[in-house]
Order: sequence, then structure tokens, then C-alpha cells
Amino acid sequence: MKSVITTVVGSADSASRFPSASDMESVQGSIQRAAARLEAAEKLAGNYDQVAQEAVDAVYNQYPNGATGRQPRKCATEGKEKCKRDFVHYLRLINYCLVTGGTGPLDELAINGQKEVYKALSIDAGTYVAGFAHIRSRGCAPRDMSAQALTAYNQLLDYVINSLG
Amino acid sequence: MCPDTRVKEVGHLNRGNVIRDAECISSNNVFPNLMLDAFSRAAVSADSSGSFIGGGELASLKSFIADGNKRLDAVNAISSNASCIVSDAVAGICCENTGLTAPNGGVYTNRKMAACLRDGEIVLRYVSYALLAGDASVLQDRCLNGLRETYAALGVPTGSASRAVAIMKAAAGALITNTNSGAKKMALTSGDCASLAGESASYFDMVISAIS
Repeated sequence: MKSVITTVVGSADSASRFPSASDMESVQGSIQRAAARLEAAEKLAGNYDQVAQEAVDAVYNQYPNGATGRQPRKCATEGKEKCKRDFVHYLRLINYCLVTGGTGPLDELAINGQKEVYKALSIDAGTYVAGFAHIRSRGCAPRDMSAQALTAYNQLLDYVINSLG
Repeated sequence: MCPDTRVKEVGHLNRGNVIRDAECISSNNVFPNLMLDAFSRAAVSADSSGSFIGGGELASLKSFIADGNKRLDAVNAISSNASCIVSDAVAGICCENTGLTAPNGGVYTNRKMAACLRDGEIVLRYVSYALLAGDASVLQDRCLNGLRETYAALGVPTGSASRAVAIMKAAAGALITNTNSGAKKMALTSGDCASLAGESASYFDMVISAIS
């Protein structure tokens, strides 16, 4: 899976050379930024359930009758559970991305084929955007995590929001 | 240890690609790229149970970060001394077993000796990658996958090959802990690198068990 270290090793291997001084510098740079990413991952792992619940509430506030607005929801409880499950899934992958330092987990496990699936299931991606926009505005430094950690976390939320647009 | 150069390279590369392609097609592995580091390894194993990465896994990754400079020094100790480590190991097996350089021996003729040195360097290079990544997947996938069959087909004496890897393991351990003798000592801040030396030893042991 793509990360700074695997990219460095891959390019060293394709040139059949030992890790060079500049390879070491790249790895060192990624390690220096890793502390903030891991902090964000840890905080998210401890609080994801509440974050997902707030996202679901934001979605249902904005779309009380479903995304298309044609008819009132008949099975709101089941819909909310599925909606929360999906947000937890995305948050889990954001947690992985924070740990690996790249977007590989999100790309490989969610974003590839995402639009096709939502289209086939007649789900408006805008509902997810509403939830993620709420999560994006909810994070606060230093209340939730340090500023650098929040930057890394928000960067991934923006990445997901853009992929849904 | 000393196969024919061209045959080994072509055969080994083809075999690796075929195995990789087959894995991509047949398995439900969602991470077809098999090269991982310590961080992506944590993501892959957490995903298999659908859980978040927290607590214990993060603690081990934090120690990876805290000891990051030691790790880079350890990789530097290996790559800066690669030529010495390899030639000492190959010279060592030749001293211990004089039959190797006699006619019909494993490294008889310069061509075979050169192939032997080249293979030693390849093994050492992949061990240095694994040590940098903190994960053995690159070593397993790109170096050891199919190596036993290749050496068997080419008639490489695996006992001597394993012994050369064992000598490289001892040399790399001494260089990482900076306990080697004399001239090649590095001017470093002293610290405890025993766990990194142990980690590199485990990668060399993987090589030995893969070929013997």
C-alpha cells in the first residue's frame, strides 16, 4: 500500500540501489509529521461513534424526507442505522489513512467505484456531503486534538468530500 | 549461491511476476500491492477485522516513530558497508570450505564467484529495505518468493549460501550496535540499538529459512 516509505523503497528497488541519503531524508520527514497524524487517529478511534451520530443527525436535519424529497421516509430508524454504519466505515478508513500517511486505504476501499454504487442504489451523494461538512466544521483545536493533528484530519475529510462531489 | 547470471535473472523475475499476477486475479485480497511498511501493515490487519486502529497498535507505531533516527542510522550502517559485508561473507564461506573454489566447486570460475557476490548484495539490499520499512513484506515478495526453487534448479549449494547469509547477519548486527572492531566504527551518539539489531537478525533468519 502506498506510503512515503513504500514509495522510497520502490524507487530504490527499481534502480537496484541501497537506500540513499535522500531516501533517508524523505523517510525522516514523514516520521516527523507522523506524530500529529497518530494523535488524530487515536482521538478519532476513541470518539468515532459520537462523530458518526452527529453526522447522521445533520443529514436528517437537512434531508428530513430523504435526499430526493419526494416522499417522507417510511423506515427512518433503519435508514438512520445504515447511514451511521456508512459514516463509521468512512471514519475507519480515515483512521487508516491517518496511520499510513497516504490516501491509499480510502482510495482502495471506498472511493474506487463509489459513484457507480451510489448511482445504482439511487443514493444522493449529497447526503454524505452534508454529514461530512458537519464533521468538518465540528473539529476544534485544541479542544479535540492539537492544531497540526486537526489539519491532517481535516485534509482527509476534504478529500472525502471532494470525492463525493 | 552462484547461479548462471542470465538464467537466474530471467527465471526469477518471470516467476515472481506470474505469482504476483495470479494472486491479484485469484484472491480476494483488496491490497494487490504487497509491499507494506509498519504503518500500512497495521491498517491491513485492522481492516481484516473491521476495527479502528487505536491503543496497542498505535503504541508500537509511536515507538517506531520515537526510534526513527536509530532506524535510519541502522539502515545507513548496512548500506554504507554493503560491499564489505558481502565480500567478507563470501570470502568467509570460501575459507571455511576450500572445496568451493576447487574445480566443480560452488564458486569455481570467476563467473560463478561474481554471481555469488551479486546475490549476496541483492539479499543484503532487500534486508535493508525491510529494516527501513519495519516490515518483511518487500523482502518476502520481491526477493525470497521462489528463491528456493530457483536455487534448487540451478544447483546452488544451499548450505554454503545459508552460511554466507549468517555471516552477513553477524556483521550487520555488529555494525548496527556499533560494536564492530576498529576502523569502521561510526561517530554516533551512543544508544541502545539492540532491538533494531534483533529485527535485522530476524530478516536474515527469514532468508536462511527460505533457502535451506
